[in-house]
Amino acid sequence: MELNTIKDAFDRVVKKQKLSSSKSHEVIDHVGQEIEQALAKFLSTHDSTSSIDQKSILAELKLKLNAISPVQQFEGSQKELNQNLSKYPKLLERSFNPDISKAYRNVDFDFHIVNQIIANHFYQQGLFDLGDSIIYEAGEHEATVLKSQFLEMYQILESMRVKNLEPALNWVSANREKLKQNGSHLELKLHSLQYMEILQNGTQADALNYAKTYLAPFAFLYKEEIMKLMGCLAFRGRLASSPYSELMSPTHWEKSTDELIQQFCRLLGQSCKSPLSVAITAGFEGLPTLLKLANVMAAKKQEWQAMKQLPVPVELSKEYQFHSIFVCPVSRDQGSEENPPMLMPCLHVLCKQSIMKLSKSSTRTFKCPYCPAEASVAQCRQLYF
Amino acid sequence: MEMNSLPNGNSTPSTPPVPTTTSPPSSKVGQLAESLRLEHQFLRVPFEHYKKTIRANHRVVEKEMSSVISGVSDAADRDDLSSDEAVNHLNSLVSRLQGLKRKLEEGSRVEHLQAQRCRARLDHLESADAENLSEWNNMRLKRILVDYMLRMSYYDTAVKLAESSNIQDLVDIDVFQEAKKVIDALQNKEVAPALAWCADNKSRLKKSRSKFEFQLRLQEFVELVRAENNLRAITYARKYLAPWGSTHMKELQRVFVTLAYKSTTECATYKVLFEPTQWDHLVDLFKQEFCKLYGMTLEPLLNIYLQAGLSALKTPYCYEDDCTKEDPLSQESFRKLALPLPYSKQHHSKLVCYITKELMDTENPPQVLPNGYVYSTKALEEMAKKNDGKITCPRTGFVCNYKDLVKAYIS
Ligand SMILES: [Zn+2]
Repeated sequence: MELNTIKDAFDRVVKKQKLSSSKSHEVIDHVGQEIEQALAKFLSTHDSTSSIDQKSILAELKLKLNAISPVQQFEGSQKELNQNLSKYPKLLERSFNPDISKAYRNVDFDFHIVNQIIANHFYQQGLFDLGDSIIYEAGEHEATVLKSQFLEMYQILESMRVKNLEPALNWVSANREKLKQNGSHLELKLHSLQYMEILQNGTQADALNYAKTYLAPFAFLYKEEIMKLMGCLAFRGRLASSPYSELMSPTHWEKSTDELIQQFCRLLGQSCKSPLSVAITAGFEGLPTLLKLANVMAAKKQEWQAMKQLPVPVELSKEYQFHSIFVCPVSRDQGSEENPPMLMPCLHVLCKQSIMKLSKSSTRTFKCPYCPAEASVAQCRQLYF
Repeated sequence: MEMNSLPNGNSTPSTPPVPTTTSPPSSKVGQLAESLRLEHQFLRVPFEHYKKTIRANHRVVEKEMSSVISGVSDAADRDDLSSDEAVNHLNSLVSRLQGLKRKLEEGSRVEHLQAQRCRARLDHLESADAENLSEWNNMRLKRILVDYMLRMSYYDTAVKLAESSNIQDLVDIDVFQEAKKVIDALQNKEVAPALAWCADNKSRLKKSRSKFEFQLRLQEFVELVRAENNLRAITYARKYLAPWGSTHMKELQRVFVTLAYKSTTECATYKVLFEPTQWDHLVDLFKQEFCKLYGMTLEPLLNIYLQAGLSALKTPYCYEDDCTKEDPLSQESFRKLALPLPYSKQHHSKLVCYITKELMDTENPPQVLPNGYVYSTKALEEMAKKNDGKITCPRTGFVCNYKDLVKAYIS
């Protein structure tokens, strides 16, 4: 697609439109002048004008206006513009895919569900106004459960933004066990941030007290981190030029904020990426292939609406690969519980049915289709991805 | 049969190790171009709007000018005009022309704004590149959400989203304002704005053989019958329905029969004509005609992209309990939407490491534990490093040594 060609074509439309518009002005002015001239004649000869003269002035004006033929002039300038106005959409149709709904299936697409998904999408991004607005306008009965949960998260984040860690620490200690299961060190990280704040803005005693109360419990598990933090005490007031200056970096705040979002979403059973945005961007990538497929199938008069599986792969970027799909290189079947992938002694992998076929139902040894190695069914073992 | 992977393990015959090849990185640029080709509506709608304004302005100029010209020639043809009357008449024509010029200027201003909008969209398409793609797609999602809201008549939310994201030029709120008037009226059981809209777009509706105006007329007729105003109904039918007789005889006859019944009829064929849902049907019909006229898809863009995305993502594993939360199809709402859609298809294995969730490919090949469980090399190396070479299977608790692992060859 050549965007420049399209831009040029559009510029031509605008140019013709301006031309036509200034032509209109010109013609209107011209007609106006003729009428005013006629008026002037009336006024200059006002006293002595006989009705004969008066009639001839008007007749002359009529003739003059007919000679200008303004309406025909408009039509002339409009004609060229019209050509461009109808050419441009045709160019768009050629350069773009004019109907992307060809790959759409006419199935029941429950708009209540779609509305809830959109509302959640807004809530997850902290856009509570928008979420509430669509729930209200669409007349959906209840705001989604996720709203209050994301509201809590954004309150915590908002406090963190102004360096108030209290809500975050409360949440972390309320969810200590689950965070531990997830292997998160968020609690230590938050306490470290708090300690560094006190160290820079409070007294030495405050910092020491804080360390004793909140950091000491971590000393056993996180020896090195705690040692560094305590080392900072020696450089209070000149941390910036100390070996520990890195601990003051704002990136620690950013990282902890990100981790909090991640863990919060995880404990909610949510992804930290909006699922709507994941599904839609997968659609951006996948739709061109689906449209080609729909065209091919329409040409072959094949059924688009009812198929159970797409006949061709739709390639998506890595980040949309959420599940392990094993495809047997021999039979092209997708692995399943009944037909799992099997590892042969040569370390090639086929599906169970292919192996059964090659071994004539495990009655004999067989050669691997990919290398000269021989194998028997007994030597093959099931794989779990 | 493909031969793109061969073993190099210790238990295999002496075939020389051949490095497996991954398919060449799919051209991101090509993919982006393909994806931009989906944006027809984005450029078409503002252009149709622009075109409409130009045509309407032009009609005004022509009409006014014609009546000024005929004003002069009428005066010239009259014999009874006094001098003062003639002067007054000419003066009024002059001020009429001045008014026309003002209208023309105002019209040009609107045309200019609409041309700028068309321009802004071309520039926006041009601004997409591989580096800013995720940001650009974010904006794209917002545009698509506004499109959805406008089509669903959630105007306030649409306006809020457009304003807060500063994308007013990239969405079609003002186009839909025109639709809103008609839809609101139809919902109040008024057809006048819809009929006016039909008159405005007469030639294009005729070209696409639209039945919309006919349906509006039928509804008005039915309303007269409902009000037991039979005489007026008949007059109305003669005037407004008869012209459609040549093309829509069957429907006409069916509606005429209602004259014999009353709105309380129990006969199903006729009862349905009196249902209030007929008005909803008119709203739907109008929306369709409206979208066609502006070169929009009949379905909201959101539904089209969502279906495509869900179909591309849908696998049998999505519906299992342990489906990862990163997959939109782990959520009940998305699962329901995807239920009638086809599963995706793979021609080649795509294996995702259970631990790191990363793709296992030649750079990060899959390794098999003695219990048959498979994880990525990266994950296993990391685990071995932390635990003195010990590997613990996270799904079964099975423990082994890093050196017990074998690489699997999956083509
Ligand atoms: Zn082999």
